Amino acid sequence: MHIAIMITVVLLPILGGILIPMLPFHNRKQMLIYIEALVLVNSALIIAMLLDEPEEAFVLFRFTGDLRVSFHLDGLGRIFAAMAAVLWPLAVLYSFEYMKHEGHEATFFMFYVITYGITLGVAMADNILTMYFFFEMMSLVTLPLIMHTQTREAVLASRSYLYYMIGGAAFAFIGMIFILAYGTTSTFVPGGVLDPAKIGDKTNMMLFVYVLCFLGFSVKTAVWPFSSWLPRAGVAPTPVTALLHAVAVVNTGAFAAMRVTYYSFGTELLRGTWAQNVVMVLVIFTIVYGCSRALKETHLKRRLAWSTVSNLSYILFGVVLMTPLGLAGALCHMLFHSFMKICSFFCAGAVMYKTGRSYVHELDGLGRRMPKVFVIFTISGMALMGVPGLAGFVSKWQLAQAAVASENPLAWVGVGALLISALLTAIYMLTISVRAFFPGKDFDYSKVADAEDPNWLMLLPLTVFVLVIVLFGLHPQPFIRALQEVASVMTVS
Amino acid sequence: MSDLWILSPVLLTLGVGIFLLVWSFAEHILAAKAFRPAEPAAGSKPEKEAGLKTVHGLAVGTLLAAAVLTLGAAWSGDRSVTLFYLMKDIPIYFHIDDISRWFVTVVTVIWVLVGIYSTVYMQHEGEEKRFFGFYLLVYGVLVCLDFSGNLVTMYLFYELMTLASFPLVLHNGSREAIMAALKYLFYSLCGAYMGLFGIYFLYRYCSSLTFMPGGTLSPEAVSGQAGILPVAVLLMLIGFGAKAGMFPLHAWLPTAHPVAPSPASAALSGIIVKSGVLAIIRVVYYIVGPDFLRGTWVQYTWMALTLVTVFMGSLLAYREPVLKKRLAYSTVSQVSYILFGLAVLSPAGFTGALLHVAFHAVVKCGLFLTAGIFLFCCGKTRVDQLAGIGRRMPAVLWCYTLFALALIGIPPTSGFVSKWYLAQGALHADIGVWSYVGPAVLLVSALLTAGYLLPITMKGFFPGQEESSGSAEDTEQKQRVQADTAGAAKRQEPKAAMLVPLLILAALALGMGLLPGVFTDFAGGIAALVI
Repeated sequence: MHIAIMITVVLLPILGGILIPMLPFHNRKQMLIYIEALVLVNSALIIAMLLDEPEEAFVLFRFTGDLRVSFHLDGLGRIFAAMAAVLWPLAVLYSFEYMKHEGHEATFFMFYVITYGITLGVAMADNILTMYFFFEMMSLVTLPLIMHTQTREAVLASRSYLYYMIGGAAFAFIGMIFILAYGTTSTFVPGGVLDPAKIGDKTNMMLFVYVLCFLGFSVKTAVWPFSSWLPRAGVAPTPVTALLHAVAVVNTGAFAAMRVTYYSFGTELLRGTWAQNVVMVLVIFTIVYGCSRALKETHLKRRLAWSTVSNLSYILFGVVLMTPLGLAGALCHMLFHSFMKICSFFCAGAVMYKTGRSYVHELDGLGRRMPKVFVIFTISGMALMGVPGLAGFVSKWQLAQAAVASENPLAWVGVGALLISALLTAIYMLTISVRAFFPGKDFDYSKVADAEDPNWLMLLPLTVFVLVIVLFGLHPQPFIRALQEVASVMTVS
Repeated sequence: MSDLWILSPVLLTLGVGIFLLVWSFAEHILAAKAFRPAEPAAGSKPEKEAGLKTVHGLAVGTLLAAAVLTLGAAWSGDRSVTLFYLMKDIPIYFHIDDISRWFVTVVTVIWVLVGIYSTVYMQHEGEEKRFFGFYLLVYGVLVCLDFSGNLVTMYLFYELMTLASFPLVLHNGSREAIMAALKYLFYSLCGAYMGLFGIYFLYRYCSSLTFMPGGTLSPEAVSGQAGILPVAVLLMLIGFGAKAGMFPLHAWLPTAHPVAPSPASAALSGIIVKSGVLAIIRVVYYIVGPDFLRGTWVQYTWMALTLVTVFMGSLLAYREPVLKKRLAYSTVSQVSYILFGLAVLSPAGFTGALLHVAFHAVVKCGLFLTAGIFLFCCGKTRVDQLAGIGRRMPAVLWCYTLFALALIGIPPTSGFVSKWYLAQGALHADIGVWSYVGPAVLLVSALLTAGYLLPITMKGFFPGQEESSGSAEDTEQKQRVQADTAGAAKRQEPKAAMLVPLLILAALALGMGLLPGVFTDFAGGIAALVI
């Protein structure tokens, strides 16, 4: 197959998305069929591309010399692309039902689909310039989605989102300039591209720039002290919070952090330095901080958002271990967490959609009226807290093993943080399930008489996710092997 | 793979358990749809009774069948099954060895007896389908836990046990019960995660996570890791000790055990706490190895914690006026006897610990069932309400007295045998001053045990004269009341389904003390193997 397929999967959703408000659909159904078809075709193309494994890079255009916008599919990108290809069609299906009560569907789906293309752009970016370009695009395109409801709260949330993103990008930009100046090439190369001859005695400066750059990209993964935008962005419609703020956008940040750490700066330069310690301390702190905030939060979606903050830092923790095992663990948690968190968010969305309740204390007794949703929610909660046999246990095992093997005492502290966070996760997830299923003996069930399970458009994605969570939990070996293969490239260089 | 049948009891109980849960749940959903509370929806009264008979028959039948299969599997040789590989070198692996046999037999005996008792008792608690559903689930999980052949398999079922058993605690649905259940859940999970922290490290420093008598720690990997590994092991001990009610993570136990329905408290206090003991045995004697710990600060810290728990538990029990809560504190103290026996790392201590696992399970289960009968038949929860109870139900109080003697450790009851071995183990172990301090603490605690258990017997049989003191007419009235109760007493023994399990337990508590040889030989055999 021709390598042009790489640009196709990026451009098809972008162009197809822009067309959504313009095409003369006769009714809502036609539009929905068009959208689902568009997304499915794109996913099929991605899968074809993944099977085809194109080796060369596709250069879209050159600015000057080495600066170019080009795509190349390597192991890391392949995982991210595959994840997007599976999640998008299901999330779109769910949105069809959910967005009924939000309105402005054409605009919503336009941006929702465009983001698909941009995510792939990030996944397949061949060099730091391309990645930076799509990274910025991502911030801009998702902005209208946060503003969707047009309430004052939503406008404020999107404004803070924008400030955080622009600030982060500025830091990341500094990093990019230094990589261009001190590297041999701007392309991503496993093991890093910095030229020791050029750096000379400026190692400390490079480390400082790394910290800036890492934090800049990690603003998207909501690392402390840049985490407050994520829960505030929870005002967006649930499909946005679920797919973008738990998976696509935030994983872009983690993905970019992986790229700069392992493919641009290189772990040789960073491992064992103060720079590694600084970022690791921040990440470990965020793991516990996110969970503690989740525990305090009574708004269901914001609670899940804080949980995302903490879980994203699990991924970053794997990244900053700066070992191949750490990268494998990070990838593993990126993949598994996406399914677990999108699953819990969709459950929360289903509850909000069917009952209009969004606070934890309003969920009493709903388990009996919405059994399917709450059983799935409980399973996803147990997966998040790391019950063996479900996905979370496996990815935490990988991360903890990498941390133990790294022989870094700070990483051992990190293992402790993972487990503290697991306990807090159990508390903030299971209290919801207990409320829903065991409201107490005097509970008046007529209060929840209006609630019922949603229709198949919502239940199908949920069922698929929960099956995937169980599959990951019981038979993770093929996935882990693939991830470790990707990460083992690091040791060669 | 031909040994796959050893998991058949698990499949059976899990299947029937889930069926009962779905049945109960479906009933509630239908009731909720009809905008009616759950109770009337179950139909007219005779119909409901018939439904309950089915539930009881199903639950007890399943339990008996599963018990036969389990014991058959356990006592037919060292069998092992690898179910599948969770990760590259981590299989879900079951292996039956002597420890499995010992624990699973105790679990099975207690579970069946308590199951029969519950068929009557649970009638006044309601929601029986849900209760028996979770009750069967926990049994299946416990069998898996006892059969586990490596650390990760054990951890899997350890967590599942917590999740399956906490609905038993919140059964009555009061706010107090729900809060207690959550406390139980979070303490247990906290402990489990501390255990998991250790597992992460052991995975790196052990040649395998499969249980081997004497441990699998690989010496070359350990060298240079003197700092972190003992810390990890101590965290595991404290973590798994949470389930066994060991200080400092003991606080859930006196909260959670009393609020559960009495059969559930009996099962929790008799059996579930022993899973913590099992986990600690597996970690210390089958993974880390006693030689690694002997003489280290970890051993001394652990021993100090167990002794603190023994003393503190007894003291709190002594001061506690509510019977079930008093028994829960007593569990805190008694299970740490077992842990102390394990902590001295000597063969006699280990033997004593294993014996006490079985004896304490029988005795504590019996005590909770007695407390349940007092609650069920007379609605009495506090110790001071129990004066004169011996006239109403003498058989029950005689059983109680026997259990009390066994728990104190008076010969010829079973408790004496295990405590003898525990003291022997401590005296002969090379642990310096602790070999005297330990038995001394055990002795003081035994005195306290007598102090908190025996007054009930005395008051029960001899309510004394205080009641008749006071003004004349008051005395007359009291005497009339007393005569009433005394007259009714002869016919107020509980139903056979409640009494028979109690009598069997009492016979066991006495019998195991009269004929201890077979048990001490078996436990001693295991001890010789691992140390």
